[in-house]
Amino acid sequence: MEEQLQAILAETESALATVEARSQLDQIKASILGGNGKLTALMKGIASVPKEERPAFGQAVNKTKKQIENLLAQTAASLDNAEDAAALGKTADVTLPPSGNYVGGLHPLTQVKRRITLIFRQIGFTVAEATEVETEWFCFDALNTPEDHPARDEQDTLYFPKESRFGNVSKKSDEAYVLRTHTSSVQIRTMLKEKPPIRVIAPGRCFRRDTVDATHSANFHQVEGLYVDKKVTIRDLKAVLDHLLRELFGKEVKTRLRPSFFPFTEPSFEVDLFSSNLGRLSNKWIEIMGCGMVDPKVFDNVGIDPEEWSGFAFGLGIERVAMMLHGIDDIRHFYQNDLRFLSQF
Amino acid sequence: MKVSIEWLKDYVEVDASTEELVDVFPMLGMEVEGVEGGGPADMEKVVVGEVLTRNPHPEADRLSVCTVNVGEGQPEASIVCGASNFQPGDRVPVALPGAKLPGGFKIKKSKLRGVTSEGMMCSAKELNLGDDHEGLLVLAHRPDVGIPIKEAFADSDVTFDLELTANRGDCLSHLGVARELAAHHGREIQFPELKSDAPTVSEPSIDNLLSKVSIESENCKLYLAWTIKGLKIGPSPEWMKRRLEAVGLRPINNVVDATNYVLMETGNPLHAFDAKKIGGNEIRIRNATEGETIQTLDEVDRKLDESMMVIADAEKPLVVAGVMGSVDAEVDENTTDIVLEAAWFSPGNIRATARKLNLSTDSSYRFARDVDPQLSRYSARRAIDLILETAGGELVPEEIKVGDPPRGDRTIEIAPNFVRSTCGYEVTDEQLADAWGRLGFTIEKGEQWKVLVPSFRAEVDRPIDLVEEFVRIHGTSEIPEARVVCEAVSRHDAAQFTFSEKSVDALVGLGFRECCNYSLRDGKEIEVWADQATVDALTLANPLTAEHTHLRASLLPGLLETLAHNQRNHNDLRRVFESGRVLRAGPKGTTELQSIAFAILTKPIAREWDTELAPDFHEAKLIANRLLEATGIIMPKGGLRSLEDSSAWQQGHAASAGDVHQNRVELTVGFCKLSLSRDKGVNGPVLACELLVDPVMLRQKVKPVKFRAFGSFPPALKDLALVVDENVPAEDVRLAVETAALQAADKQFVVDPVTIFDVFEGKGLGEGKKSVACAIRFRSDERTLEDKDVNAAFDETQRILAETTDYALRS
Repeated sequence: MEEQLQAILAETESALATVEARSQLDQIKASILGGNGKLTALMKGIASVPKEERPAFGQAVNKTKKQIENLLAQTAASLDNAEDAAALGKTADVTLPPSGNYVGGLHPLTQVKRRITLIFRQIGFTVAEATEVETEWFCFDALNTPEDHPARDEQDTLYFPKESRFGNVSKKSDEAYVLRTHTSSVQIRTMLKEKPPIRVIAPGRCFRRDTVDATHSANFHQVEGLYVDKKVTIRDLKAVLDHLLRELFGKEVKTRLRPSFFPFTEPSFEVDLFSSNLGRLSNKWIEIMGCGMVDPKVFDNVGIDPEEWSGFAFGLGIERVAMMLHGIDDIRHFYQNDLRFLSQF
Repeated sequence: MKVSIEWLKDYVEVDASTEELVDVFPMLGMEVEGVEGGGPADMEKVVVGEVLTRNPHPEADRLSVCTVNVGEGQPEASIVCGASNFQPGDRVPVALPGAKLPGGFKIKKSKLRGVTSEGMMCSAKELNLGDDHEGLLVLAHRPDVGIPIKEAFADSDVTFDLELTANRGDCLSHLGVARELAAHHGREIQFPELKSDAPTVSEPSIDNLLSKVSIESENCKLYLAWTIKGLKIGPSPEWMKRRLEAVGLRPINNVVDATNYVLMETGNPLHAFDAKKIGGNEIRIRNATEGETIQTLDEVDRKLDESMMVIADAEKPLVVAGVMGSVDAEVDENTTDIVLEAAWFSPGNIRATARKLNLSTDSSYRFARDVDPQLSRYSARRAIDLILETAGGELVPEEIKVGDPPRGDRTIEIAPNFVRSTCGYEVTDEQLADAWGRLGFTIEKGEQWKVLVPSFRAEVDRPIDLVEEFVRIHGTSEIPEARVVCEAVSRHDAAQFTFSEKSVDALVGLGFRECCNYSLRDGKEIEVWADQATVDALTLANPLTAEHTHLRASLLPGLLETLAHNQRNHNDLRRVFESGRVLRAGPKGTTELQSIAFAILTKPIAREWDTELAPDFHEAKLIANRLLEATGIIMPKGGLRSLEDSSAWQQGHAASAGDVHQNRVELTVGFCKLSLSRDKGVNGPVLACELLVDPVMLRQKVKPVKFRAFGSFPPALKDLALVVDENVPAEDVRLAVETAALQAADKQFVVDPVTIFDVFEGKGLGEGKKSVACAIRFRSDERTLEDKDVNAAFDETQRILAETTDYALRS
């Protein structure tokens, strides 16, 4: 009996060793475990076994059956494996570059813009937008810039012809259209549209009538900020800008507010930065941005009561920050889009 | 503006070092653009030496061998020198062995063409004292031999080049700057004492050289005229010349120099006329007549207009008021009698005139920034003192005065608490009084303080201006550090910003690199990418260059240039995009749009081990679809349609959807016209896409999506192949099938969107035909559909198609 079982097991083993396809496996399975299979036939012989030996007989047959089933399953698994391996073809050389190795990337100006916006998000600022085409009123008059201010000169500002008509740039009266020279115009549009408290930043493209060279660009980017609330103070202004500059340039930087002049803020300051970690700009005061308390005349111009509300505004150049952060010496790199430049950031 | 420290010391005590002043001026609001003079930095082993002998070098024509005395008790040094601008007896800086010059150059004992040199005699450049490197710095003031070089310059003047903000016209003089330093240090300011004086008259007396002075222009509010007889023109004294030169002025003669000196001293421009050249002995301050001409002192003939003011005699203009005099009334070597003018002109008028004439002078610069009319009389008297001192002559004892100073001192009422609430930190009454007091403001305390601001501070006229002055003088370093504490504001980012950020992220994720191109373009290019109306609408009134005459109408030309640039440079950059604003002419005027555009160079830059299939139209369309999905923009109705007759896109290989003026969204995708990308210098076809969005659309509030339940029963699939003309768009066929299926289902059950699974052209279909095979999926939310329902609906679908289209069923 035991010999017969061993013989069947051995026969199965040797038969499985040569199996190459699932059909062969099925045949072997049928010849052993099928209705007329050898093990099945042996099982049927239980009737002729004496009663007291039957449990032992049954156990022995079942044990062998388990063994055979395991063998069959193993063979089936290795057949599957072989099929899967063949299905994907030759193994890959994982060190080869993929064809058309397109890795996308953000322009460094976008990266810096996002850093700045994220820093301001921490302290509750959201983004405001307005058009790049502006009118003289929004770009200058509303910002308390006098009629004969040099910034309004045709030497410095790009104008559209008097007869121009823009569908989605509203005018105050019949003033000329210009390309905005700063993002400060977004302050005006925001204050006219929204009620205080206001806490916005406005990243955007600006234009000057400049000849392009290493430090000048006909268009460039600024981030404007505006904070209007009750009882906003110079101390708050300093706190917010210190927060920005320390987040941007590191906790160890020193800052100073240097008295300056802008028509739309009073008092006005330039913000200087002192860092030991800015390459060739290290260890000296570097001008980084302008700021100040919103001039009461600007509030008057947008219908906000300066007796009730106060605020501050600031603006900084994205190119300038990017150049300082990364040690870039020529502003034209940003607009040439050479991969050797873009892929560094 | 240049200021001389030595000159400043006439008016205020300055004991701060140059290094300290470099920090003081900026914190007062005056940026330091440059510092000159003051001698070299402290350098060891660089001393004053005296050349004793100078002999030719035996081996080199251009060199000489000198013996130099470098100090008592020191051996004479033998030095080889290449310069030729010196003589024995001259004193020069000598760098001895061991010295280290600016820039790190170390001096050693060495041999030059066989002769030993024990040091080096230095040029100004070598000591970082200027750009002169042609010859030695001969020390004309003969400092003591052997002293360190820094000491040799101990008394030398230092000039600061200060950049002033537009509001601080009062600082455009030495007295003005001195006032600021005095305020900073809490010191007194000393005005030079005046000697000459005369009573004021409104009409000249018979003894005066002038018979009449009249103001006929509203842009002159005050005019003072003084006359001096019998003076002698000659050179100015050395001290005056030196000071004028220090601040960048060229000495001319004693009279002109005196007026310039006072200009730089008080900031009030003065003008001296040769009295004999004043026709009719009459001065008229009037507007120019249209087309009137004048030859200004720079010998340029200038045409004037009615907006410009002149100082004229009875016949002709003598001066462009506040800007520049003419050759006609110039003080020259023969002048003996002069008329001296001090005046106040409207700042705006002078600025406009200077700009129109493109002529900015020291005088116009100051008048344009509002000179102090209360200082006009002082300035004139000061100049008279100087003229009498340097040119002699006799003052006609009367001041002719026409008009009145337009402004004087004024009182601002302010509550100290206003300062505190603006500053946000502790400010005591004493600190306030101190800061304003130091500026020369007078304070009358009370509930409201009355602060009297002198006339020279024209721009300080509101309480907030007083706050600024306090913060400036008290010092911004006193503003304490603070943490940012802020309440939440219920506000979201502008929708346009969010859209742009999402689109940028989507394309970066799809392997595109972001680019940034200039907004200003050439008009011819706009015509290709938009239309003639847009070309006209985007023209700038005052472009700077002929290539940058228009604003951009599309981001794609810039991207093509980016591809070309990188291809030229063998940079493997084939997928680029940009997000930005463009403009298009529309029925309601030009509209500023948000654009997102990408471009794909379909040809590899370099050889690759595994050549990919060149991207085709459908790859670009797929990316466009992903972009729409990522940004939540819905494809305009009708979907993409083949683009006909485009100047920018390749016929038959490009498509567009929507119109940005009608639908607020416009999508174009496909191959750029091959000739166009070739002209831009790109080698190989370029696939591109531009999505234009009117920001108005982005502002529309989107309602939250309402969930729709769906069933769990399996669908029934039916395929249908139709034979159509080959130029029928597949989408038309698909849409027809879908419409028919929906109609056939008659809302009894659901029809999934119909999909195309095969398009075939060729054998058995007939010439000019193609087969489009569509898959239809019928479902029910309530039950498994039975064959008879499905077959009935499918039959009905085919019947409707046969009825409504001329598409044939493929057998």
